[in-house]
Amino acid sequence: MDPVKITLDGKEITTEKGKTVIQAAADAGIDIPHYCYHPKLTIAGNCRMCLVEIEKMPKLQIACNTQATEGMAVKTQSPKVLEARRAVMEFLLINHPLDCPICDQAGECWLQDYYMKHDLTPSRFDERKEHERKREIFGPYVVFDGERCIKCTRCVRFFQEVTHTDELTVVNRGDHSTIALFPGQTLDNPLSVNVVDICPVGALTDRDFRFKVRVWYLKKTPSICPGCSTGCNISVETYQNRIARFKPRVNEAVNSHWLCDEGRYVFHSLTEGERLTSPMIRQEGGLVPVDWDTALQAVAAGLAANAPAAAILSGRSTNEEAFLFGRMMKKISPEAKQEVFYRERELTEVEKVLMSPDRSPNFRGARHMGVGSEAGVEPLLQAIIEGRLRSAYIVGEDLVSLSEDGENLKSALGKLSFLVVQDIRMTPTAALAHVVLPATHFGEKAGTYTNRRGRVQKLEAAIVPPAGALQDWEIFSRLLGESYAAPEEIFAVAAREVPAYAGLDYEKIGALGADLEAQKQ
Amino acid sequence: MEKILLRNIDAPDSHTLAGHRSRGGYRALEKVLREMTPEKLIDEVKASGLRGRGGAGFPTGMKWGFVPKDNPKPKYVVCNADESEPGTFKDRLLIEKDPHAIVEGTIIAAYAIRSHTAFIYIRGEMFYGAQVLERAIDEAAAAGYLGKNILGSGYDIDLILHRGAGAYICGEETGLLSSLEGGKGWPKLKPPFPATHGLFGSPTVVNNVETLAALPWIIEQGAARYAAIGTEKSKGTKLFSVSGHIKKPGVYEVDMGYPFKKFLEEDCGGVANGRKLKGVIPGGASMPVLRAEELDGITMDYESFQAAGTLLGSGGVIVMDESTCMVRAAWNIARFFAHESCGQCSPCREGCHWMEKIFNRIEHGAGRAGDLEMILSISGNIGGNTICPFGDAASWPAAAFIKKFRSEFDEHIAAGKCTIH
Repeated sequence: MDPVKITLDGKEITTEKGKTVIQAAADAGIDIPHYCYHPKLTIAGNCRMCLVEIEKMPKLQIACNTQATEGMAVKTQSPKVLEARRAVMEFLLINHPLDCPICDQAGECWLQDYYMKHDLTPSRFDERKEHERKREIFGPYVVFDGERCIKCTRCVRFFQEVTHTDELTVVNRGDHSTIALFPGQTLDNPLSVNVVDICPVGALTDRDFRFKVRVWYLKKTPSICPGCSTGCNISVETYQNRIARFKPRVNEAVNSHWLCDEGRYVFHSLTEGERLTSPMIRQEGGLVPVDWDTALQAVAAGLAANAPAAAILSGRSTNEEAFLFGRMMKKISPEAKQEVFYRERELTEVEKVLMSPDRSPNFRGARHMGVGSEAGVEPLLQAIIEGRLRSAYIVGEDLVSLSEDGENLKSALGKLSFLVVQDIRMTPTAALAHVVLPATHFGEKAGTYTNRRGRVQKLEAAIVPPAGALQDWEIFSRLLGESYAAPEEIFAVAAREVPAYAGLDYEKIGALGADLEAQKQ
Repeated sequence: MEKILLRNIDAPDSHTLAGHRSRGGYRALEKVLREMTPEKLIDEVKASGLRGRGGAGFPTGMKWGFVPKDNPKPKYVVCNADESEPGTFKDRLLIEKDPHAIVEGTIIAAYAIRSHTAFIYIRGEMFYGAQVLERAIDEAAAAGYLGKNILGSGYDIDLILHRGAGAYICGEETGLLSSLEGGKGWPKLKPPFPATHGLFGSPTVVNNVETLAALPWIIEQGAARYAAIGTEKSKGTKLFSVSGHIKKPGVYEVDMGYPFKKFLEEDCGGVANGRKLKGVIPGGASMPVLRAEELDGITMDYESFQAAGTLLGSGGVIVMDESTCMVRAAWNIARFFAHESCGQCSPCREGCHWMEKIFNRIEHGAGRAGDLEMILSISGNIGGNTICPFGDAASWPAAAFIKKFRSEFDEHIAAGKCTIH
């Protein structure tokens, strides 16, 4: 790393050789406005928004393609620069439909924001606007509006450089230039919706989210994607106690700027549907609501009386939940076989860019916390099917629907002497239970996940669970006879008992997580 | 004036290898291969003072000198035969009448930078020219001027003819390279420059047809003879394509520094039909226009045109007499650039069409007060702020027409109609 000193608006800053002016400025906390530049894509230099004045150079230069060199004096606020920026804003807006009231990007649109910051003059354009394709369906999740597009080509470059799937290109010339799918292509690769995130304007929007909520009403909660064990950092964006969308949160150690489509929409299947709002116990005629004390007493008594038991924890349970679950089962049913749900599948090359081959974001953390063995969940399911166990406690997984051998599993579960199912909905598995405990999903809980690579990251509760349901950790702690105020306290205890987590706490984990290996060193 | 570039074109067999050789063709190449190292060749061309004839006028020898010798990648020479500048048709004459001079010049340039693959990128519309060049390349290959170990020198060179698909922007050297690579003809960001990162990311020299065609004469006759012609900074001869309201339109070879007015009045026979001269675009449609009274004292070289506020450009001289509506002329040029803007960068993509729409309105009687200031402002916001020189090429003529013929524009707007036709 060769240090290079440059002057930025009269302020001397030190950067590294090879960095561009826009990067050096960003590192120093100065945002040079830009559309086409994206730190993870090649330089296109087409929007011309980042033009800056550089001493001894007669023309303005684009900051994104100009390498910082020793002694370079850069002006980002000179009259010439401000006028060039205003002019670029004007050019980008002359053919733009200005349909902000019906545009989903409104509120997070770079055209709006930069207009306020760098233009703020009335339109001088008094000609007929050029028209383009509207509402073109690019794929299952992405829709295109050619009139809002500013041709920055971020989307084109994303599919060339990140997914290598090359679905998009620019066709035609001049002000008829437009983004288009190559003939016969559909935008259905596993990372397609990332272009909605990187599109600075309302040209590419999310079909799942559009027209649902104005973005300024969204509450944003930093969390971790529950889709797989990559542990992509996300912002869970909610409106009126419902999850409206996931957006990726930048974390260079995990997911960079990206999020896969499957993870992005996993909240639908994980959260929607009618919720359980009361514990239930099977009596003649079916499951009837009872109070929590009655239900928990029945669980403790039923498990103790019906050994051997199977204890199957969801791969989406947090470390804190896993820590309590493992200890609780040991106490109530010491011989119980504990496993965390984990199953692998084949990934395509594009999926491998980001995704892990499972749907158990915390399988690794749960094992660290003492739940599960190397053998995994499959032999345990086989043991249930073969009738070798008398009872089971299943948390957060609808095993009947997930299993290829669902009918056999269903009939085996139905033959158990005692079955507890803890979940958020009346699933086919829960319908077989003797005791059903209403719990929470990832969006309602705080806690930590440890991803596939051993990075501990925090979930935060984005919405409030329905009345009548209990946090999973609360159910376990009551069965265990211990009392905690919050998951943070449970983590503190776990960190003392699990050597790999020694010394870690929520503060050290922070917004971007902490690597276990790094903690050990 | 001695003809250098047009010395062969009057012979009926000027396009054949036999005809070319009978007038000394390929002797320069033999001399280069036999006597000159690439370094010496570059020095010779530097000494000749030859500057690029495509429009920018960059010294040719210096351009070759920028190609790094230690780069492990292949090196390429590309002959830019995408002649598309409105009012320019001089390369086409050379292509059709003296293709072997171009082939020979291209091989010499390739040798100078130790390139073993060269391309001629020819404008798609020049179908006949492409046929002529293709034949010339085949003849040259059969005669051992192309291929492995040419003339027993141990030097290998392949020459490939590539037809463009008819976009003006592919005459811009990096747009040409994108197109030649098989992509959309979008100019590339500079830096890096083609000398280090050109065709397929490799060191590349792009030279105009006229530049390359001048090389055989320079090598044979010596740089000193070439440099003796012309002015201090503009050496040798230059082709001018003359069109418009002129008695004798055509391609002329002129010693640099020749008086412009004399050229138009005597060599080209003056304005046709006894009308008065109104204005002249000296270097192709992208260069600023001159009023008739501004021509006094201008000589035909890079410095003199620049001093007069315009540029030599491609040497496409467009003559307009008093019957010309300058608003319509400006609109026509603006329409061309709006149509040809590649659309890659914001100012040019949006601004060229905006200017065209306003010119169109003024010419068709819907001009408004403030329109001209608006065009000048748009033009100023495009020029210098784009990826490639197209932005300048589109903005200069728009501004120049208004500044030079302001009253005519004002009359159009005031009258609400065209005041000339």
